[in-house]
Amino acid sequence: MDLTFTAAEEEFRSELRSWLSANIPQEWTRPGFWESLDDDESFRLRRDWERDKADAGFAGIQWPTEYGGRGGTPGMKAIYDEEMVRAHAPRTVNPLGLTFLAPTVMAIGTDAQKKEIIGPLLRNEVVWCQGFSEPGAGSDLAALSTKGVRDGDDFVVNGQKVWTTNAVHGDKIFTMVRTEAGSEKHRGISMLLIDMDQPGVTARPLRQMSGASEFGEVFFDDARVAAADCLGEIGDGWRTAMLLLSFERGASGISQYTEFRRQYDEIAAVARTLGRDTDPVVRDDLARVLTELECLKLHSMHVLTQVEQGRDLGFEASMTKLQWSEAFQDLWEVYDRILGEHATLDTLPDGTDLRPLHGQAMWSRSVTIWGGSSQVQRNITAERVLGLPR
Amino acid sequence: MFFALTEDQQEFGKAVRDYLAERFDLAAVREVVEGGVADGNPASLWAAAGEQGWLAVTVGEEHDGLGLGLVEAQVIARALGAGVAPGPWRGTVLAAEAIRLAGSDEQRRAWLPKLAAGEAVGAVSHRGDVAGGLPAVEYGAEADVVVGPSDPDLAGLSLLTGATATPVGSYDGTTRLASLSGGTAEALPGATVELQKQLTDRATVLVAADLVGIAREALTRTVAYDRDREQFGVPVGSFQAIKHALADLHVGVTMAEHASLYAAHAADSAAAGVLDPAEADLAVSVAKAKASEVALQATAAMIQYHGGIGYTWEHEAHFFYKRAKRLAGQYGDVAVHRERIATLTV
Ligand SMILES: Cc1cc2nc3c(=O)[nH]c(=O)nc-3n(C[C@H](O)[C@H](O)[C@H](O)COP(=O)(O)OP(=O)(O)OC[C@H]3O[C@@H](n4cnc5c(N)ncnc54)[C@H](O)[C@@H]3O)c2cc1C
Repeated sequence: MDLTFTAAEEEFRSELRSWLSANIPQEWTRPGFWESLDDDESFRLRRDWERDKADAGFAGIQWPTEYGGRGGTPGMKAIYDEEMVRAHAPRTVNPLGLTFLAPTVMAIGTDAQKKEIIGPLLRNEVVWCQGFSEPGAGSDLAALSTKGVRDGDDFVVNGQKVWTTNAVHGDKIFTMVRTEAGSEKHRGISMLLIDMDQPGVTARPLRQMSGASEFGEVFFDDARVAAADCLGEIGDGWRTAMLLLSFERGASGISQYTEFRRQYDEIAAVARTLGRDTDPVVRDDLARVLTELECLKLHSMHVLTQVEQGRDLGFEASMTKLQWSEAFQDLWEVYDRILGEHATLDTLPDGTDLRPLHGQAMWSRSVTIWGGSSQVQRNITAERVLGLPR
Repeated sequence: MFFALTEDQQEFGKAVRDYLAERFDLAAVREVVEGGVADGNPASLWAAAGEQGWLAVTVGEEHDGLGLGLVEAQVIARALGAGVAPGPWRGTVLAAEAIRLAGSDEQRRAWLPKLAAGEAVGAVSHRGDVAGGLPAVEYGAEADVVVGPSDPDLAGLSLLTGATATPVGSYDGTTRLASLSGGTAEALPGATVELQKQLTDRATVLVAADLVGIAREALTRTVAYDRDREQFGVPVGSFQAIKHALADLHVGVTMAEHASLYAAHAADSAAAGVLDPAEADLAVSVAKAKASEVALQATAAMIQYHGGIGYTWEHEAHFFYKRAKRLAGQYGDVAVHRERIATLTV
C-alpha cells in the first residue's frame, strides 16, 4: 500500500496550486457568487478564465504533448481534479468536449480531425455539445430517429435532440444520426460533427427545476454537415458512441469526493446553526453519508491504481457512478431533513443564505438520471459484472 | 499511488480460501454448528492455521512469527469470514497483538512463539475485568491465555490463565462463547489507555474484515443460485427486482472491501506514527459501520433470494446470516460507529 504521489506529481501540484491561488479572484469563492450571475455572464467569465488556464499550461493534463497536452500521469490528472475543487475553480464550460470528444478523436479520428478539433478544444475556442438524447430516445439511445440523408458530399440532417447540456452556448455538436434509411436499433447510425452556427440548427434553452438553463433542445431543419465530418466510419456510430462513453471510466472520483466533503461540512454547519447537531437521528444520518463519501474516496484511489497499472476497468464505471451519485443525493436528502421547517426557505433565522445549498440540493435530483440513470447502471452491473441473465 | 493488495497479500488470501474450499467446506462447518466437534475448534483446521502461518501473521520474526501487519491479517480474516470458519483464530492473533505491544520481554518469550504456532489458544475481551469476570468471550473456554481489562475503571490489561468457563449460548453456531471468572491474572506492563484503544481498534478491523468476507460470499452464492434457478420459465436472476438489489449489494460490498483494507492500513500507519490517529479512528469506524451494514443486508438478501430453501436448516444461508448478526454487534454496532464518525466530523 502506498498512498502517496511521486515527487514529480507533487511538484506539479504545487505549481498548479500557486497558479490557482494567483488566478482565482477572491470574489469567485464567495458562496452564491456563480448563482448570482446570469447564465451568459457566467459562461463568458468561465470560458475566458479557462483560456488563460490553458495558456498557463494547465489544460489537457493527461493528453499527449503532440496534441498540446501536458503529457502527465494519471496521478497528475487526479491531483488536477482535486486541486481545482480545493481552489474553488469554476466548472469547465466544455465538459463534453474535454471528457468525451477529445480522447475519442485521438483514438479514431482522421488526421484532419485531430488537427482541427483537439487544439481548439484545449483553449475552449470551440464548445462542444453532446447530441444523443431525443424526446423518444433517452436510456434507449438506439431508438433515436434524427435522420441524415446523403446529398453529394454532405448529409442533410433533420430531427431533434433534447436535454442537451450547453445547447445555447455550443459551437458544435457531436450528434448521433440515423444515416441509413430504414435501419433499426444499433445499425445505420453515424456520429456526425455538426456546426451549430448555421440556419438549419436552432438551439433553445430549457429551464431546469433549479431555475438555471444549462441545457436545452436542438432542432435540425435541413442542417448540413460534410460527410467527412463523421467521427468513426459512416454507419458505425454506435461503436463510436460506446468508445466515447468509455472515456468516462478513467474519470477521477477524487474531485467529487473533495467537493462533496466540503458540502458535508457546510451542511454540518447548518445543523449546528439550527441546534440540530446533537440530535442522534441527524448525527446518524450524517455519519451514514460520510461513510459513503469516505468509501467514494477509497474507491477513487482504487480506480487510480488500476488505471496506473494499465488495467481496463470495464463495466466497473457503473459502480463508480452509482456510488457517487447515490451518496451525493443522500447527502442532500439529509440536508433537507436537517432544515425541517426551514426547508425551501431562502435564509435561516440568523441570516445565513441557503440558496447556494438549495441549488446543490436541486442538482442532486439530476445526477441519478444523466450519464446513464441509476436503473441503467444497476442493469449493467447486474448483467455485465455479476453475470446475471438478461 | 498503490491502493490494492500486493501479489503476496493476494496469495495469502487465496491460500486460506483454497484450503477451506478443499479441506474445510460448508459440510465441515455444519458438523461444528451441529455440535459434532466437542470444543468447536476442529483439530485439522487449527493445525493448518498454525502450519500455514495464519496465526503467526503479526507476530515478530524474533518470536517465530511472520512480522507482517494488519493488512495481511485482514486478508486472512476476510477469507475465514467467507468460509464462516470456526475456531479461535481471531482471539489468538489479538491476544498475541496485546502481548506483542504491551507485554514484558518475558511475557513475549513465554507466549508469542506458542500462539504463533497454534500450540496455545488465545482469547481477548474488551469488556468486564479479570477480577470481576469477562462476559461472552470467543473461545474463552478453549483459550490457554486470555487478555482482558485489569479493572473496570482504570487503564490496563492483564493476562488471565486458569479461569473457570461457563458456556454462553448463541445461535451463531460457528463460534463458541464462554464467560470467565477466577483464574490467575498478571498485568501487561505497557497497556496504556492509548494502547488499549489501539488494540480495540485492531480487533474492530479484524471483525469488520470477517463481515466483509461473509458479505462477499453471501452475494456470490446468491448470484450463482439465481442464475440457475428458474421460475416462470426463466432464471429468477433475470428479474430486474432481483438484479437491482444484487447490483446495489455488489457496490456496497465492494465499498466495504475498500474500507476494510484502508482501515487496516490506517491503524498500522497510526501505530507507526505516520498517520494522524484521528484519521485512523475515522477509517476504523467507517469500515466497521459499512461492513456491519452490508453484511446484514447481504446475508438477509441471501435468504430472500433463495426463497423457501434459504429459510431451511439444511441450507447454509443461516450460517452466514447468524454470524453476520453476531459480529455486526461486536466492537460497536452500526449506530455506535456512526456516533463516533459524527463526533469526528459534525
Ligand atoms: C442535467 C442533465 C443534463 C443532460 N445532458 C445531456 C447532454 O448533454 N446530451 C444528451 O444527449 N443528453 C443529456 N441528458 C439526457 C440524459 O442522458 C437522459 O435524460 C437519460 O439518458 C435518461 O433518458 P430519459 O430522460 O429519456 O429517461 P427515460 O429513459 O425515459 O427513463 C425514465 C425512467 O425509466 C427508467 N428506465 C429506463 N430504462 C430502463 C430500464 N431498461 N430498466 C429500468 N429502468 C429504466 C429510468 O431510469 C428513469 O427512471 C441530460 C440530462 C440531464 C438531467
